[in-house]
This record gives sequence, structure tokens and C-alpha cells, in this order.
Amino acid sequence: MNIAVCVKHAVDEGELRADTSGRPQLQGALSKMGSFDRNAVEEAIRLKESNGGSVTVVCLGGADSKKTLKEALAMGCDKALAVASARALDALATSYYLSRALKKAGPFDVVLLAEGASDTYHGLVGPMLARWLGLPFLGFARKVEVNGSKVRTEAALEDRAESYETVLPAVISVVSEVNTPRYPTLLQIMQAAKKPMEEVTVESLTDEGAPKFGVTVGDVVVQSVDRKKLVFEGPAEETSRKLIDALRKEGLL
Amino acid sequence: MDVLVFSENPHLAAELLSAGAGLAAASGGRAYSVEADSVRQGTHGNALLLRSEVPLLGDPALLAEAISAARKTKVAPVVLIGSTKTGRMVAGGLAVLDQLCVLSDVRDLRVDGGRLTGTRGVYAGKFNALVGGPLPSIALIPQGSYEPFSEPSGPVEEVRVTTGPPKVSREELRSSAKSSLDLRGAKVIVAAGRGLKAKEDLAIVQRLADALGGVIGASRPLSSDLGWLGEEYHIGLTGVYVHPDLYVAVGISGQIQHVAGIRDSKVIVAINRDKQAPIFQVSDYGVVGDLYEVVPALLRALGRP
Ligand SMILES: Cc1cc2nc3c(=O)[nH]c(=O)nc-3n(C[C@H](O)[C@H](O)[C@H](O)COP(=O)(O)OP(=O)(O)OC[C@H]3O[C@@H](n4cnc5c(N)ncnc54)[C@H](O)[C@@H]3O)c2cc1C
Repeated sequence: MNIAVCVKHAVDEGELRADTSGRPQLQGALSKMGSFDRNAVEEAIRLKESNGGSVTVVCLGGADSKKTLKEALAMGCDKALAVASARALDALATSYYLSRALKKAGPFDVVLLAEGASDTYHGLVGPMLARWLGLPFLGFARKVEVNGSKVRTEAALEDRAESYETVLPAVISVVSEVNTPRYPTLLQIMQAAKKPMEEVTVESLTDEGAPKFGVTVGDVVVQSVDRKKLVFEGPAEETSRKLIDALRKEGLL
Repeated sequence: MDVLVFSENPHLAAELLSAGAGLAAASGGRAYSVEADSVRQGTHGNALLLRSEVPLLGDPALLAEAISAARKTKVAPVVLIGSTKTGRMVAGGLAVLDQLCVLSDVRDLRVDGGRLTGTRGVYAGKFNALVGGPLPSIALIPQGSYEPFSEPSGPVEEVRVTTGPPKVSREELRSSAKSSLDLRGAKVIVAAGRGLKAKEDLAIVQRLADALGGVIGASRPLSSDLGWLGEEYHIGLTGVYVHPDLYVAVGISGQIQHVAGIRDSKVIVAINRDKQAPIFQVSDYGVVGDLYEVVPALLRALGRP
């Protein structure tokens, strides 16, 4: 089975700080493979382990993306494909260039990705990619089962759980509870350096179908936290009484 | 300028209709609630009913195709879609079909100089970004951003649409009696986190919620990883955005992805035994202590032991 998994090299949102003007300090900020992307890579490797075949990991982004690609190779992917883009692209353009890159490198039976990126969380690249590729999309899977030429997934939507079934090839997005991602061993990390990594540029994939406009991102400023931050410590009888008093004063009780 | 709005969730659809009516009114246009398969009970405002050979509801890919087909007869430069998992899938498909920008999870929506603009949280809600796209564009809007449309029902226009055949067969495994709406509309929410040792202990959280006249919610691990509660209870970036008057976090550390969903609460209270827990940084009132002591003490203080 030919499997592709798309990942994003994302800013570590937990560590990101604001500068004095309240803008994100992106220069020198820590970055890593998107949190949910690790689950997508793990699922791809598991599918290979149970069905045979090979996994190609694809990452669209800047030069840093190679770190994420190497990590995915160390986890057990077989080949890496870097889609180099000098600037940040929106979901429509990202999914478009990923679809072009996958068409060139494919055909793939399964294309996996995460439900959303951990830094921007649009959750749009999956359904867009499926549409560009003309493939069925099985979204938000917490369970993936491949059976011959068919795939069945289970998804938890806001108010119900559903199961989906379709004939491969298909695009599948996974949520974090689908699996627990493995950590590569030192040996695997060393071996990953020898695995093939190809690179294509967004420019080389541009054709007349490419989106000609995109979402623009203007000013980015830190969310102000305007909270009282009154903290009560001490015996529970005392702290709970203080809390109740405070809530009464707020008119909440 | 006409606006189309769609959500599979009727309450969210009513909110979108308000947002859409506001945008359309400025240019003498109309907002249409896109209805698939049949007109829902309680739909207000103008409706655009999509009539298709195959059932559309439940299949985001077909819904995208149907809305795209409808846009050929009803020129609508702005499409508002409810920010749910289904909504994201519909928006993604429609964006590719019709070559539209998608602004996701935006508020303060405006049409200005041929552009649709709004603000959205980025980096797990730690920052706010101004975003915009040229018309025509799609905006995904989270629930609770607008008051539901309350004017009487208007006329229903029908459009015949053809879509491809369904590619995915779908089966419902579990339907929730309680919808996440209770949470989104709730005035008081007591949310449980991993600080709880066992599923049974949700009972004391429920008791506190009852005593405060509210409902319970949860952090993602409880609904997703542990499965102690349904997905409809999951609050945060990847779950429900809530905006109660009072939000009480019990045994929740306050990771930014959770906080992203509770920022609009009027008053935030945290109960956590770790004084360093980040939740205290975003709370109005905090109690440092073991929840197994503090929650019972609160119940006693409220006269509800
Ligand atoms: C992309 C992405 C999206 C995410 N989306 C969401 C989301 O939408 N919603 C969400 O909630 N999470 C989300 N998460 C997960 C999030 O990062 C945290 O892992 C999660 O919120 C932690 O849940 P928690 O606070 O319940 O658990 P923990 O972080 O484990 O915190 C438990 C807390 O309980 C306290 N505690 C323990 N025992 C007691 C006791 N006896 N009495 C009092 N306090 C006690 C501890 O001090 C600790 O602070 C997301 C993560 C990622 C990467």
C-alpha cells in the first residue's frame, strides 16, 4: 500500500511569547512538528506495518520543515518530500500545492493528515486536499481500519459519533486519540539521515489552476488577559467561603 | 449583496442568519438560510432550499457541491458557514469548487472595499490576528458570536441542484441526547479536568454544577482520550467555545488550547492544587487546594452538602 502523510512544521504555540508591543516573537521561536501531525505519522506507519507498502511524508513550508521531515523519517516513514515555499500560504494554496506534489509523487492509496495544525488550527487543508485530488474525505477519524480495497473510519462529531466507509484511494484526517505516537530510537534517528529526501518548490508546481489570491493576515497581537487573578490559599472551609463571598459580590449567586 | 448562510446545526444557522442579515443590509441585499433536503422547523428569515436527487445532509462533500451549484443561480459574494467539524469540511470543499478564500473562526466580520475581514485567534488563541480575503469569500463562524435571528420566517425559494454520487457511506454510531448547545448557551459551567481520579468523581462536579445552577463541561482529555464524557462536553480550541457568566475549572491545568475556548466567560474560577498551574493566570478567582476537599466544602458553604 502506498501511503502519504502530510505534516506541518509549526511554531511551538506553548512556548511562543509576545514582544513588548504585544506581537508574537517569531524570530528565534521554537518550532516543531505539529502536535496532531505526530498522530497522523504514527497512523501512517501503523497502516504500513499491518498492510505492507511504504510511507512518504510530505511537508510544505520553509527550510525548517526538514527538521519535521527527518523526525517523521526517524519514526518510520520511508521517504520524505519537502515542498519548499518561501512564504506562508493559506489553506487553499497549501492544499493546492500539496495536491500537485502528491500527484507527482503518487499515486497513493491513502493520504493521511491531522485534523488541524497546532498553531493555526484551520482544519481546512484535509477537505480541500481531497477535493483537489478528487478523492473521498474521511474527516476527524479516531479509528482507521483498512480492509483490502476499503477503508472504514470512526469519527466523533460535536454531538454524535459516526462511521464512514469508502473505497481507496481516500484522504483521511485523524484526531489525537487515534493512537499514541512512538518516539524514535537513537538508531532510528541516525538511520533517518540516510533515507531519501526530495525537494520540490512551490514555483515548480505552479500552473494555471493555482489559486490567484489568498487570505491575508494583518496585525497579530496578543490576547489581553484582563482578569482579577485573586487566589485564595488555606484550609478548604476558609477558601471556599471566600470564593462564595466573592461570587455573591459579583452577583453570580 | 446577498449572503448565503449554512449550518447543519439549526441554532448556529439562526445566529449566522443575523450575521448575514447585518452584512447584506448595508448593501440592500438579503441573507438566505441554505436548507438541505427540507426546510427545518423553526427556521426564520429567507430560506433557500436545495433540492437534490440524493440526500445532502450528513455528507459534507455533497453539501459543498450543492451549495456551489446554488451559487450559480443565487449570486452571493459572502457565504457564512457554522464553525463545526461538518462546517469545516463543507467550507473546504466549497472553497476549492468555487475558488473562494476561507476565513476560519472569525468574529467582528465586515465587508469593506470588496473584502471580507474579521479577527481570529492564532497560536492556540494566545494571539489575535486580523484576517481578510477578497470577495467572494467564505467565513466560518463559531457559535455564540451573534444573537439568533428572530424575525418571522420569510419566503422559501427552491433551487434544483445536481451533485455527484456520494463517495462515502455513513452510519450513525451514537447520537447524543444532550447537544453541545446546552454548553454554548449555558450561563454557568463547571468543567472537569484530569485532576479527577476516576469517572465516578464526575458526580461531585455535577453536584457543584447543580448547586450553582449550571451544567458540566470538560477538558479534552476527559472527552477524547479517556472517554468519560461525550465529545459534546469538550471545551476549547478543538471543541466548543463557551461564554458563560461563570466558568469554574475543576482540576484543569489551563493549557492554552483549553483557555482558547473559555476566554469570553465573564468570570473565571479555578480550583487546582498546583499554585503554579497556568489556569490561575487567566482566572478572576482561584482556590489552591485539593478538589476532593474544596468541592465538598463549596457544596457545604452553598448549603448543598
Ligand atoms: C492542537 C491541540 C488542540 C487541543 N485542543 C484542546 C481543547 O480544545 N480543549 C482542551 O481542553 N484541551 C485541548 N488540547 C489539550 C491541551 O493541550 C491539554 O493537554 C489539556 O487541556 C489538559 O487537560 P487538563 O487540564 O484536564 O489536564 P492536565 O493538564 O493534566 O491538568 C490537570 C490539572 O489538575 C490538577 N490536579 C490534579 N489533581 C488534583 C486534585 N486532586 N485537586 C485539584 N487539582 C488537581 C493538576 O495540578 C493539573 O493542573 C489540545 C492540544 C493540542 C496540541
